[in-house]
Amino acid sequence: MIDKQSTFGRISKVIFLSLCLIVTVFPLYWIVVTSLKAPGSIYSLPLDYWPREISFENYVGLFTKSDFGRYMINSLLVATVAATVATFISLLSAYVLARFHFAGRGAVMVAFLLTQMIPGFIALGPLYIMMTNMNLVDSETGLILVYIAICIPFCTIMLRGFFENVPDALEEAAMIDGCSRLTALFRVLVPVMLPGIAASFIFNFVNCWNELFLSVTLMNSDENKTIPTALAGFISSFNIDWGSMSAAAVLTVVPALAIFAFASKFIVQGLTAGAVKG
Amino acid sequence: MKSKLATITAVGLAALLTLSACGGGAGTKDGANGQVTLKMVESLTNPTRTDTIKKLLAGFEKENPNIKVDLISPPTDSADQKIQQMLQSGKGIDVVEARDITVGSFGANKWLYDMTADLKGWDGWGNLTENAVNYSKQDGKTYYIPYGFYGLSLFYRTDMVKEAGFSKPPVSWNDLLTQSEKLNDPGKNKFGYAFRGGANANSNAVAVIEAYTADQVDKENAFKLSNGKTIFSAPEAQQAMDDYLEIFKKGSPPSSVAWGYPEMVQGFSNGSTAFLLQDPEVIATIKESKSLKAEQWNVAPLLVGPTGKAIQPVATAGWGIAESSKAKPEAVKLIKYLSQGEPATEFSKDNSLVPILKSAAKDPFYSTGPWAAYVTMTENPGTYISAVQPRGVSWWTEWIKKSDGELQRVLTGKMSTSELLASWDSYWTEKMAG
Amino acid sequence: MAINSERMVVRGPNTVTAPPQPQAIHRRKKRFNTRTALTLLAFMAPAAIFVGIFTYYPMIAGSQMAFRNWNLNDLSDTSWVGWGNFIKLFESPEFGGIVRNTVVWVVGSLVPQVVIGFALALFLKRRFRFRSGYQAFIFFPWAVSGFLIGMLFRWMFNAEFGVVNDLLMKAGFIESPIPWLAEPGFAMTAVIIANIWYGVTFFAIMILAALQSVSEDMYEAAALDGAGKARTLFSITLPAISVTLGLTILLRVIWIFNFPDIIWAMTGGGPADQTHIITTYMIKITQEGDYGQASALGLIVVFTLMLFAVFYLMAMRPRKANR
Repeated sequence: MIDKQSTFGRISKVIFLSLCLIVTVFPLYWIVVTSLKAPGSIYSLPLDYWPREISFENYVGLFTKSDFGRYMINSLLVATVAATVATFISLLSAYVLARFHFAGRGAVMVAFLLTQMIPGFIALGPLYIMMTNMNLVDSETGLILVYIAICIPFCTIMLRGFFENVPDALEEAAMIDGCSRLTALFRVLVPVMLPGIAASFIFNFVNCWNELFLSVTLMNSDENKTIPTALAGFISSFNIDWGSMSAAAVLTVVPALAIFAFASKFIVQGLTAGAVKG
Repeated sequence: MKSKLATITAVGLAALLTLSACGGGAGTKDGANGQVTLKMVESLTNPTRTDTIKKLLAGFEKENPNIKVDLISPPTDSADQKIQQMLQSGKGIDVVEARDITVGSFGANKWLYDMTADLKGWDGWGNLTENAVNYSKQDGKTYYIPYGFYGLSLFYRTDMVKEAGFSKPPVSWNDLLTQSEKLNDPGKNKFGYAFRGGANANSNAVAVIEAYTADQVDKENAFKLSNGKTIFSAPEAQQAMDDYLEIFKKGSPPSSVAWGYPEMVQGFSNGSTAFLLQDPEVIATIKESKSLKAEQWNVAPLLVGPTGKAIQPVATAGWGIAESSKAKPEAVKLIKYLSQGEPATEFSKDNSLVPILKSAAKDPFYSTGPWAAYVTMTENPGTYISAVQPRGVSWWTEWIKKSDGELQRVLTGKMSTSELLASWDSYWTEKMAG
Repeated sequence: MAINSERMVVRGPNTVTAPPQPQAIHRRKKRFNTRTALTLLAFMAPAAIFVGIFTYYPMIAGSQMAFRNWNLNDLSDTSWVGWGNFIKLFESPEFGGIVRNTVVWVVGSLVPQVVIGFALALFLKRRFRFRSGYQAFIFFPWAVSGFLIGMLFRWMFNAEFGVVNDLLMKAGFIESPIPWLAEPGFAMTAVIIANIWYGVTFFAIMILAALQSVSEDMYEAAALDGAGKARTLFSITLPAISVTLGLTILLRVIWIFNFPDIIWAMTGGGPADQTHIITTYMIKITQEGDYGQASALGLIVVFTLMLFAVFYLMAMRPRKANR
């Protein structure tokens, strides 16, 4: 093991890592500061790097002037359900793609990869009409279904990688014991792949939690809006309400950040497990 | 084992089917109690306005207990696109906010319902201003009834103008240049004019050109001169654009190249610019500003050109009905309700629009404070000439895109003003001939 | 579909990169009996149904508009126009600039992301106190949506009240505020800075994962040979992770190319179209109602990316063989 680090190396490491941290965290700090300033004082010069008086007016406004609590619940519901279902469905398809060689397997992979190359704006118009005909516009169910569909391709590709790293002797042994394929999958494979599955779920969740364009397109009534749509609404034709926007941004980022903080170990672990030993 | 699998598949499919079974359409009539739900979609959304509309709808529902109205307020940025999608899909939309710039294409696509027959003999017609009636009956069809009018006027900072040693706000574009230049102090973050260089920048540029060519403008088509050529071809237009560019260079914030509506209004209401050319709508927003006190600002009439005249472009929007609506009688009822009496007055006051009702002329609200400038303008039709811009044509969005882009090229030094005018001239010459 | 696909990026690369495992090579072709075949079908069905209905159907329906005169402002004539929309695009004066911007945007965002991300991963590879806490914070940009990042940076780059100008002036780098989002060169710089901020983390995670899977034995052997740090980096580390790195970059190119959110929120493509990339321009055209041209642009994107991917993978193949 080469563990000799020169003083120079150590110092440059500390400097580099600190710099990265400062640059990364600064925007977060800045929205927190902006959100805590009283609405008028956002535009006072010289800029204050900490609010002269801490004001929660922007936050209070979010819940009194708009139905922000409702939007948060909607987002949470939509993202949780969609991420869960998408992860489950992807687990099944990934298993097939990893374990069996059948005609059309390559085509399925390409079809999934292709979804990543196509700008979604092509599909918005027809999607809207289709969803209208299915009576799924302005319904959380509709949004969830679409979110599941956009999560599946990549989630499948990712999970497939994890499956390939688990020896198939495992579930074959289980199947000889009399388990069905499905039982074997869930009893034997899933526990082994848990970090990978957790990582996939988290990415699906964050993805849905932040999605804007589909939500704007498919949701109409106020009580169905998700957070990103509400955020976009703070740009009215007259005004960009930076104070409310910042407060809402803080409330949006914090839950996602908490999940990330909790799961970052999982993510690297999950990915490492999937990667190849040299 | 096979059965287990079958069960799972069945459960999954069942779940899918139940999931897709819910969700409701618009204009739905519930047979049991005769309840009708109308879906109403607004376009120029902002929080204050949404509140006003909700209040008005509550009043309407109270009067008509069997009608319920759901208001849909998409984010402004994408609202018209969303409305297009809804109209095209033919579901989920009954009452719609149509703007003078969208009504042309909505009508051409047969997405809007012609209310002429329903409004025959409506007693509300008599209370509407001449303008409101004209716009309601364009081309013999009533696709919408305006809720108010927009028109340009100059918002200015009384304190800054005074400090700079001027006795009164700018009257002409030339005054604006002089005063902006003097007031401009980038080091202190103080600027003269809240220039419009971003979205819809063309509108103010056209206003300058029209002011400089005011004597020759065709009132039926404000883009045309009385000799049949476009206003962009006039030599005065060249002077207008050059002066306008000077105002940008010497009296405006450099960042205003990218300023659209929100940035301009914000630039004025947060105290960094002294002048703003905008719609009366903005009055309500500035009144709410935490950075400006009431005595710090006022409104002056639209700026005039070298011959002392200006063209007031009339812009409007209103409520219409989707052709696909299954509850047209109820929708008509709602539009009638919004277009007369207390609701109409309240809407135009809350959003500070030029009102659609004749009775407003006697209302002290419209002759005092910031509104005085509008009275001045209506009382001097010889100076502030009303003319109609061809905003309803189906290529209007194309024009906005083209003209905004080219104007920004001029501001960023990639195009000259004469090239710009030549390009605009040939564009409209071709369109008007075709 | 690629809406918000940025977020999905992380999922892929390492898995795509994973070359066959020893046991995978030995895996015999399974002979399916009917029951197994049915099981497989049932396992694949949900994914196929979802992606088919909610992604492929609308995409194909949208693609056909590329060959029609489909303008929402006037739908009276929606006849087929062949390649008309494409020709109109190629002939439009903005097109060249937009293609150039797209290249600047992709390369300008990608290179710093790779370099900084790589450095970060190298430093994070070795354990140190607070490492997991540090990781949690450094990974945070991933939790933020592209739209929000755009709005955030738009506020920070605000010419009059933005913190960036304030800091630069305090530090004495500039004397008067820069109108970041209003001047062509600066606007592109600003949006790219925002994108770098967003994307560095992604590379750091991916490269870190790859680094951690490189066997320590190899480093020890190198150390025994007396290899210096630089040589270890170039002759051991880089070759070991080259496949992961290569594919990560490929996916990243695709996603940056297809990522209008930040630019759309920050500048909307302005000033004077100077920050329009193909996908933001597509949004703009869509909002103006010309779905035909927008679809044509979308197909151009797909075609370009597919072509790029094929050539890129072909170029990578020999390196793979060398390993």
